[in-house]
Amino acid sequence: MERSSIIERVLRAVLLTLIVIFFLFPIVWILLMSFQTNEQILRIPPSLSFVPTLENYKALISGHLLTSAGSLDIAFMRNLGNSVLLSTCAVVLALILGVPAAYAFARFKFWLSEDIAFTLLSFRFAPPLLVLLPLSLYFQDLGLVDTYVGLIWVYQLIALPLILWIVRGYFEDISPDIENAYRIAGHSWLRTFFKIAVPLAGPGIAAAGLLSFIFCWNNFVFALVLASADKQPVTVGALAFVTASGIQYGQVAAAIVLSVTPTLLLALYAQRWLVEGLSLGAVKG
Amino acid sequence: MTSQPIDEPIRVVDRRPVEWLPYLLSLPALLVCIGILIPFVTALYYSALRFRLNLPALKGFIWFGNYINLLYDAEFWNTVSISLRYTALTVGVELVFGLIIALLLQRQTRLNNLISVLLLLPLMTAPAIASLMWKLMTNPNFGILSYLVSLAGVSDFGWASSPSTALFTVVLVDVWVYTPFMMVLLLAGLRSLPQQPFEAAALDGVPRLFVFFRITLPMLSPYIITASLFRLLDAIQQFDIVYAMTQGGPGNTLLVFQVRAYLEFYQYTNVGKSAALLVVLWMITYVLSHFFIKNWLRLRERSHASA
Amino acid sequence: MTQIEIRNLHKTFKADAVLNGLSLSVDRGEIVTLFGPSGTGKTVLLRLLAGIYPPDAGTILLRGRDASGSPPDKRGIGMAFQNFALFPHMTARNNIASALTARKTNAGEIARKVEAVAQLLKIGHVLGHSPRELSNGQKQRTALARALVADPDILLLDDPLRNVDAKLRYEMRLELPALLKRVGSTVLYVTQDFKEAMALGDRVAVLLDGRIAQCDTPARIYAEPVNVGVARLFGDPTLNLIEVAPQLVDGAPEIRLGGMRIRLPASYAVAAGGLYLLGLRPEALRLVEAPGPRTVAVELVAVTPLNEKSVLLLTMQGGEELLASEAGDRDEPRRTGPAHVAFDLDALLLFERESGRRFIPSGNGEVAHERIAITSHR
Repeated sequence: MERSSIIERVLRAVLLTLIVIFFLFPIVWILLMSFQTNEQILRIPPSLSFVPTLENYKALISGHLLTSAGSLDIAFMRNLGNSVLLSTCAVVLALILGVPAAYAFARFKFWLSEDIAFTLLSFRFAPPLLVLLPLSLYFQDLGLVDTYVGLIWVYQLIALPLILWIVRGYFEDISPDIENAYRIAGHSWLRTFFKIAVPLAGPGIAAAGLLSFIFCWNNFVFALVLASADKQPVTVGALAFVTASGIQYGQVAAAIVLSVTPTLLLALYAQRWLVEGLSLGAVKG
Repeated sequence: MTSQPIDEPIRVVDRRPVEWLPYLLSLPALLVCIGILIPFVTALYYSALRFRLNLPALKGFIWFGNYINLLYDAEFWNTVSISLRYTALTVGVELVFGLIIALLLQRQTRLNNLISVLLLLPLMTAPAIASLMWKLMTNPNFGILSYLVSLAGVSDFGWASSPSTALFTVVLVDVWVYTPFMMVLLLAGLRSLPQQPFEAAALDGVPRLFVFFRITLPMLSPYIITASLFRLLDAIQQFDIVYAMTQGGPGNTLLVFQVRAYLEFYQYTNVGKSAALLVVLWMITYVLSHFFIKNWLRLRERSHASA
Repeated sequence: MTQIEIRNLHKTFKADAVLNGLSLSVDRGEIVTLFGPSGTGKTVLLRLLAGIYPPDAGTILLRGRDASGSPPDKRGIGMAFQNFALFPHMTARNNIASALTARKTNAGEIARKVEAVAQLLKIGHVLGHSPRELSNGQKQRTALARALVADPDILLLDDPLRNVDAKLRYEMRLELPALLKRVGSTVLYVTQDFKEAMALGDRVAVLLDGRIAQCDTPARIYAEPVNVGVARLFGDPTLNLIEVAPQLVDGAPEIRLGGMRIRLPASYAVAAGGLYLLGLRPEALRLVEAPGPRTVAVELVAVTPLNEKSVLLLTMQGGEELLASEAGDRDEPRRTGPAHVAFDLDALLLFERESGRRFIPSGNGEVAHERIAITSHR
């Protein structure tokens, strides 16, 4: 049905090529930089011919950076570990809290249920610093400043609304009669929840979990305000690293590559559900 | 309906666990969130205080004093103006750009699907990290973009470090990160539109521009509105990109709401003023999120009905 | 012995009273079909019995004991849903076995019972399939097997034949009565099809306006409906209803029908002076060639042949329409045009116009003897 002329097709191809270049070039370029020595990076004009080196990664992984000014200890691997720990724990906790709540909101109309669900949603849209700055003062009083617990708790602001609203949609799509049938067959409510509702909402739970992991990983401001130096995730760590390492651009590029690789890989794996996650469950991809 | 004398007293029966079950299920999530409402209330309280961390003796209740001070503060109006410009520019460019890309990728071919997946990568990059990437590329010494610009004959393009181009640079990063968001939502919208109106228009030989403005755009509008409001809400609060790129500088050129509030808190330790700024921002986002949720709910119902 | 007893049950959804003081009792081993137009709360009633919803008021006694407060899993009921409600992530075998796994039955016993019920329902060969891979008929049988496998003494079947194709429905309608009798459970069977209700039920409970309007054997429901609402639900085409005002002429009750005066038996004398609806079942009307003293002149307007019968559209003088049906095996097609219609008096139903209640002639005996039709046409 599409009657497209040659000019149109060429135009289309040119446009798409430009678009792909614009969006992918930075990623590719930084990836290339991460395999170059500082000297190669500083060449003018920039050149694509170089012998790849793994020195940048080695320095990052070993944690020691040799610069002209001497040796520098870099906590970047620790940042990476923090990111893994914080994001994983935050998502697991959000799943434990969010999946039963999502089920409650999907299946029952109870007092204030919609108000509560929308309050949780509105957390997604409030300015984070409004809560974070007073919280940082509370954290000092509560002794949460130097702990993972505090951060994991605050990360619920990211993960919980997402999980709640995506999983709720999946629960709503299960015919209640399927659960009723299992109840009537003689199974308790709890068994029905775990044997019927959870497996049937499985794809949604997995998607929400993956996506909230990505969003927790990518978060910057929460940790910037609340995390002490040794609890910082990569987003904050990478920024600190740039300041500390000065002109070690190769290592900076390598650090960036290490920081984004996990989320990019997860995103490629979870791309089927991204649309749904990005729209908080409003649009199915 | 005829009423009949009730031969048995009406009694409510069947008190089963079902009644308290939903509360039990949602309570843990709720408790965790109530913990977060406490600092929110605290922030409202702080915004009514003269409260500087470095001058604890001055702490006192001044009602709307902080807000009134903001009104007479040229710096505040500068923040409002820069935030609005940032928001308008990013959302506008991303919407147009995203719509064009979505239209180009509308047909479900393998290549188009591959491209739409690859374009998601910037969106999945942490915005703070994305800023670092662009910082490396715009570095005056070796940045590839600086080099390309100099090839074009512009030798003193300062990117984020020059007041005249700083806004352009952060908007560019924002566009790089978030255009895929618009693209992916609008693409999902385009692909979910019913085909009949388009087939009918094609049969009648309606010009394609006319089809686009009279059929595609109106039918796509719930998606456009939801995606734009989504971005609007995020853009007016943008922190990561601006902070990672320039920390609000150079000078006061990029002091958007949250960056300003952050600096007010940590650099000038003026907790009251910082809280007042954030409350103003919160009120703006609250109004916006009201519209957002209305549209969002409509979309949600639609996608559930079609599922 | 009463197995299910429902007393004065009320249930309201969003200010709509669905059940409004419904009472019904079902004896052990009895099959009662629950019949009514869609949206009258038949499914709701089953769900209240199964414990899926709590009633607003009223009592449900199962096996003589108050069931309120006991959740669905403790009621010992088997239920088949209209939309089958199979567990999509389990094989047909596990679907059926689900009713046994809850009861701590050992694996060998479960396998034996599942196999047995699958044989009975002829789905033994698809036990390993997931619901997605089953045909509609197989899904329906799987759902039925799941309801039956634990030998529940109370079985609730929610229009199980609704979502299967016509051929299968026909087969199952033949197969089900024997099957249900063999299981021996007390059965409450919801259906929207009056033929199914009459074919399967020992008794038919007619649900109208949130209550059981009538619960009786199929034959009596058909012949002696309590009111015009019930009468209308049974029969295809539905019965003709004509407004009449019986009068006493020379001491005998008489109605005017299509310009003709028709004398009614003396037992209808009390009806004189009131406004009534005359109910005539289409199959009780016969076309005759010659006018008799108490036939009605009509115009045959159209004939619709339906395989085993034909439906005739007639108009009386004054334009009122009547539907008649007759066996469809006539040698020559009927010609449209003027004709006369006669009807059996014992099939005549009279309803009070205001209340809809059926008028019961005093001294029923006389009615059967007299016939208004005189000539038989063939």
